[in-house]
Amino acid sequence: MPADDLSASTAARNAPEERLLNLVVALMATDQGLTKDTILGSVSGYREQGDSGASKDALEKMFERDKESLRALGVPIETIGDRLEPDDLRQARYRVPTSEYALPEEITFTPEEIAVLNLAAGVWGEASLSADARSGLRKIGSLGITVDEPIIGYSPRISLHEGSFAPLQRAIEQCRVATFPYLKPGDETPRTRRIRPLALAEYEGRWHVYGIDTEIEQERTFLLSRIVGAVKVTRESFDAGLREGAGERALQGLEDLARRQTALLEVHPGTEAALRLHRRGVPALQGIRVPFVDVHIFADELASYGPEVRVVDPPALRDEVRRRLRAALDLNGAAR
Amino acid sequence: MTPGARPVLATERAALMLQLVPYLISKGEVTVAEAAADFDVSETQMRAMVEKLTVIGRPGDAGYWQMANDLFDIDWDLLDEHDRISLTNAVGLEHAPRLTAREAAALLAGLQLARSLPGVGESGVIAGLLAKLARGASSAPADLIVAPEPVDDVRGSVDEALRRGVAVSFTYKAPDAPATTRTVDPVKVHIADGQWYLQGWCHLRQAMRTFHLDRVSDLALTDIAITHGEEQPPALFDMGETGNIVRIRFPDAVAPLLRGYLDRAQETIAHGDLTVAAIRVADPTSLKRLAAGRGGEVEILEPGGAREAAADWARAGLEQYTDTGAPERGGEDAPAPEG
Repeated sequence: MPADDLSASTAARNAPEERLLNLVVALMATDQGLTKDTILGSVSGYREQGDSGASKDALEKMFERDKESLRALGVPIETIGDRLEPDDLRQARYRVPTSEYALPEEITFTPEEIAVLNLAAGVWGEASLSADARSGLRKIGSLGITVDEPIIGYSPRISLHEGSFAPLQRAIEQCRVATFPYLKPGDETPRTRRIRPLALAEYEGRWHVYGIDTEIEQERTFLLSRIVGAVKVTRESFDAGLREGAGERALQGLEDLARRQTALLEVHPGTEAALRLHRRGVPALQGIRVPFVDVHIFADELASYGPEVRVVDPPALRDEVRRRLRAALDLNGAAR
Repeated sequence: MTPGARPVLATERAALMLQLVPYLISKGEVTVAEAAADFDVSETQMRAMVEKLTVIGRPGDAGYWQMANDLFDIDWDLLDEHDRISLTNAVGLEHAPRLTAREAAALLAGLQLARSLPGVGESGVIAGLLAKLARGASSAPADLIVAPEPVDDVRGSVDEALRRGVAVSFTYKAPDAPATTRTVDPVKVHIADGQWYLQGWCHLRQAMRTFHLDRVSDLALTDIAITHGEEQPPALFDMGETGNIVRIRFPDAVAPLLRGYLDRAQETIAHGDLTVAAIRVADPTSLKRLAAGRGGEVEILEPGGAREAAADWARAGLEQYTDTGAPERGGEDAPAPEG
């Protein structure tokens, strides 16, 4: 490395966050924008490093990285090209428009809304989403709103145990195609699926990712618990317009599925099965009809009720329940 | 979150400090402790952030160092002597930043769950908030959807009891136990994995108890004012030292599906790709349901009674499917309700 590179010990004096903040302050204080040269020569953090011999090239690279970091934090850095030579970035000016940076002042929150938001921010057991929610709440809180009586008596929780959630959320935000190994029940080995992820949906306590399977160009919903390996976010991007209303479509898809698939069950009255299933079902001539989304997950539940429920129809569900009961008997039936 | 337990990266520190200025302005004056708690950092970290703020400012005119009034400043005496923070000069960043896509997404999903609470969903508050958050985000948040659940009579009545501060009475039917009539001072409603639980002081048991709301029927409000509302509820599935130890064996791959049980595990030992876990449950035979539901994956090792119960349970279930015309209804598959 050249001697004048940033590895020089002088560079360590200013913490990177100081430089980032000085940059934001400088870019917000200007209306017409600052050129890169002005920034590198006057904003504290760059200026000192330039003074102590860092090369222009190294400073420019640092500036590029800082811009990326700030944009990732949601700071809108606008590039105003030179009118005569729009492609020449040497003359470009940079600024942060306050109107896009700041929470719009016309968005106001009532004390009642803040109380509900407080409750909403507390639902995440998972650390990074919990931190995101708290951070968002803090920004809204600094608008200086008085808070209503907190909503007491409730502790709603969203649990999240799938490692695939975070990369999929990132892929959705960035509109990038993602791949993951997906193991269908009954299959021996997982198959790699490639999707344009559009939404994540929790339905009946389980998380699903909804997207377009690029192999068949059709919308598909996948259970996160069946993703058995790392999610890869590719460089291939897709049109953000696909995301419009995707959450609603994902939910609609799951609800339609549940409407189309129903099981006919005979349930013994007064049992645990009766309590849990009657809430979800409608009475039929012979027993009750209960909608379900996934035959394997429903079979798990029905098998757990043992003799409390008998599956009449459909045969596939019936077979899955019998298979589970047989296997449970085989495993626990032998004397030890 | 435990304050200060989180390591904070430079960009995260920058993000926090962007929030710190509008926060301090809105507070006027605040203790280091309160600010640290609000920002989920330690007091040492908060102090360092505030001190660092005072070297941030507008660029000086080219070639000149910044003037004092170009920098943020605080009341140093107040900080040093009274552990209180007060901003005395601000040179920008007065506005709260927009929410990032992730912040908005995390709050939006939380709001969807809050929508299923009685009294919240119908009020129109949620719809307004969803729109405001979407507008207040710097870029489009990923759609994180939480399917809505209808408010049924039981949930609605429990809500009313919580608001009015009166006990409720109901019939409770725990699995494999006879139905009992309970009078309960409601303390908290827990919603986890789509299941609703009422935690409260049970007049019958003279202790805090947790009730799955699906198993509650004939619920009515009483005139009895609650007397144990201030009681600190235990963790949702905390068994304390009561109950019995059951040893189960299962393939490692199944472990995520047994989370609810393994959270209560006393110890887990790996044997090759199998795990043996000792868990504490009120009634060891109740694990027959787990063994049947995870058919062939969960083996109950001991006590022997629980293992036998699991085998009997699966056998009785299986015997319903003799498939010779009408299903047999022997004595075996009629579950006898016993305590």
